[in-house]
Amino acid sequence: MAFQLSGSNLGTRENRLGSITGYVGDLEDLASQSKCGTLTGCSRCFSQSSTCLSGCALGQLGGIRDVAIIHHGPAGCSATASSQYIVTNQVAAKRGVVNSSVYIGTDMDENDTIFGSTDALAEIILEVNRRYHPKAIFVSSSCATGIIGEDIDSVVDEVKEAIPVPVIAVHCEGFKSRIWATGFDISDHAVLSGIVEPPRKKQNTINFKNFYESARNEIIEMFQNFDLEPVFLYANATVEELKHLSEAVATTCICGTLGNYLGNGLEEVYGVPYIRTINPLGITGFETWLREIGRVAGKQPQVERYIEEQRNIYIPQIEAVKKELKGLKAVLGMGPGYTFEVTRVLNELGIEVVWALAWHYDKRYENGEIPPAMSYLLENDINFEASVADQQNFEVMNILNKFRPDLYLSRHPGSTVWAIKQGTPAVYVADEYMIFGYKHTLEFAHAILDTIRNRSFEQNLAKRVKLPYTDWWYQQEVGKFLEEAIS
Amino acid sequence: MGQIRQIAIYGKGGIGKSTTTQNLTAGLVELGKKVMVVGCDPKADSTRLLLGGLAQKTVLDTLREEGDGVVLSRILKEGYGGTRCVESGGPEPGVGCAGRGIITSIGLLENLGAYTEDLDYVFYDVLGDVVCGGFAMPIREGKAKEIYIVASGEMMALYAANNIAKGIKRYAKTGGVRIGGIICNSRNVDRELDLLRAFSKELGTKLLYFVPRDNIVQHAEINRKTVIEYRPDSNQANEYRSLAQAIIDNQDFTIPTPMEQERLEEILLEFGLMNIKDDYKI
Repeated sequence: MAFQLSGSNLGTRENRLGSITGYVGDLEDLASQSKCGTLTGCSRCFSQSSTCLSGCALGQLGGIRDVAIIHHGPAGCSATASSQYIVTNQVAAKRGVVNSSVYIGTDMDENDTIFGSTDALAEIILEVNRRYHPKAIFVSSSCATGIIGEDIDSVVDEVKEAIPVPVIAVHCEGFKSRIWATGFDISDHAVLSGIVEPPRKKQNTINFKNFYESARNEIIEMFQNFDLEPVFLYANATVEELKHLSEAVATTCICGTLGNYLGNGLEEVYGVPYIRTINPLGITGFETWLREIGRVAGKQPQVERYIEEQRNIYIPQIEAVKKELKGLKAVLGMGPGYTFEVTRVLNELGIEVVWALAWHYDKRYENGEIPPAMSYLLENDINFEASVADQQNFEVMNILNKFRPDLYLSRHPGSTVWAIKQGTPAVYVADEYMIFGYKHTLEFAHAILDTIRNRSFEQNLAKRVKLPYTDWWYQQEVGKFLEEAIS
Repeated sequence: MGQIRQIAIYGKGGIGKSTTTQNLTAGLVELGKKVMVVGCDPKADSTRLLLGGLAQKTVLDTLREEGDGVVLSRILKEGYGGTRCVESGGPEPGVGCAGRGIITSIGLLENLGAYTEDLDYVFYDVLGDVVCGGFAMPIREGKAKEIYIVASGEMMALYAANNIAKGIKRYAKTGGVRIGGIICNSRNVDRELDLLRAFSKELGTKLLYFVPRDNIVQHAEINRKTVIEYRPDSNQANEYRSLAQAIIDNQDFTIPTPMEQERLEEILLEFGLMNIKDDYKI
């Protein structure tokens, strides 16, 4: 796809990537339908959950150091500000830096809705600049401003002259997409179009798109072996760092859903190679990924040396744990950037995935190809039942009840708790680096082993908890509330 | 007294809704009726002829400037013959949301007690087409129960009228709104009366009144008066008096049966273009 950085708006995942939120079938069918273009998502006549894409977009941007987010909408739209502050400050404190970013709601009221409030918005932007001196200002729309057609772009253009730092319009009307990950793309678009500058000199940096940089130190250490310096995005990144993203050796990410737009954009616009392999989770993932970075950076001998060294340390240990995991059955529910990657790792560890849920599914990535994690599974004849559900807990519970697996894995808060209450041991894959590289793959294997070894907690809890789901629901097909695919 | 008859007047932009509403209002007050006119157009020109100018402060401007402490006397002005005049007002062209403005404005009028028991009629003069939910506000939630559509023999006027009928039909079940008829504000186009009759019949209603074209209307408008006030003895003043009487007497209220585009064009062809040689004189 051609990246249009001149405009502030971009298409939704549904429109750009053919993404869906409703499907029941298996992996092979999902992939073959994606390839031949027949895959159409189903809607649900009953939906239990979803969230607004603005949370993803502004959560990402608000993590950048010392910026201002101005959320132009009714007060409720900026309700996420408090949790945003907590996360931002904690992630900064963990690294030992101070992040002075602010999140401001414009408190749009009835009169603003009727008469428009662009004058007030302009004043707010100028005042935010005077008061906080941010390094960049992101001005976001909301559903209300979207409906009345508030011209945020013109306001931004107008105040730009009076403000010495980038001021960027971000279009976050929640109703335009069912897929919250569209928000990740919106944040990438804002950074690409408003902050990244054309390269002046090539640097030995590697852009590393992640969430909270928890494995920062060890990754820096690893890349030192190859004379590369990772720049972690966006939490704790500085605006100055972002300006130079175009000068990097390559872009990579810990999650394809998160990194796809920025990676492809930097490659297409500035020629920065985007590492398109499977992700560095598990042994095969890590080695495939690192070898590709080695190839792109011209550091293949160093990479091979590193792999050999690490293999000697970890492979025997991993093989030892694998013996105890063999034959376990698992169900997992995660964002699509992780579902098919973690499935591969589980397979590698000898665990059979009986059902995988992805919170949404991208038919293809920005480069037009189906996601690499999917291709890998298909090429290696790994198939299993799969569904796409935007975190519909009732569907997860239905599946768990049917399969009664040894293990449920999820990456989203709350999801694993329900499984445990039903009696299924669960692993909360909270940290994005929980399965990264050899060391964490070993730790992950141990975490699984610890979880399933003693199941009395789950069993006892399940006996004493009454869940709201009826026997009727447990007898239904999981796709009961899916409506016919919309073509 | 009986129940207040709440009437909404719709029609294509520029068709003469405000002129017709105010002139017929003048006819009603002559007959001793108590009338309130609520202008639902951001231009705020729906009560100009009754008030003798645009001196009116709109509901929304007042709300914006004075906040929650708005009192009725600030926004309700008395015009010709004791008519009560209110202008909803709205944003500048191209910004904000005029539809939301109407929703807010009508809500405020209700809260302030503008709908007093002595009223016989309330007219809502709504701009243009029913483009979004806000402009349908007067016919939702049981406010205006009676709708009249002002139209002429021009194609776009009928096209708009048909669209408005779709809006009425939508709210007919829940809000109890009904169409009372079509008022033709004549443009002197060929076979206009026949066309409007056929159109009204197809729409499941009737042509309530045919107001002929007369330049005296423009003269009265320039003088900021209704025709009844400006030239009480003129023919046109009598036409508006008859229109007022037709409204008083009207008891035919139906759920409209809007047409598909093809059927509308068929009717236009039948009455508008067939058997008439190309003659472009106006």
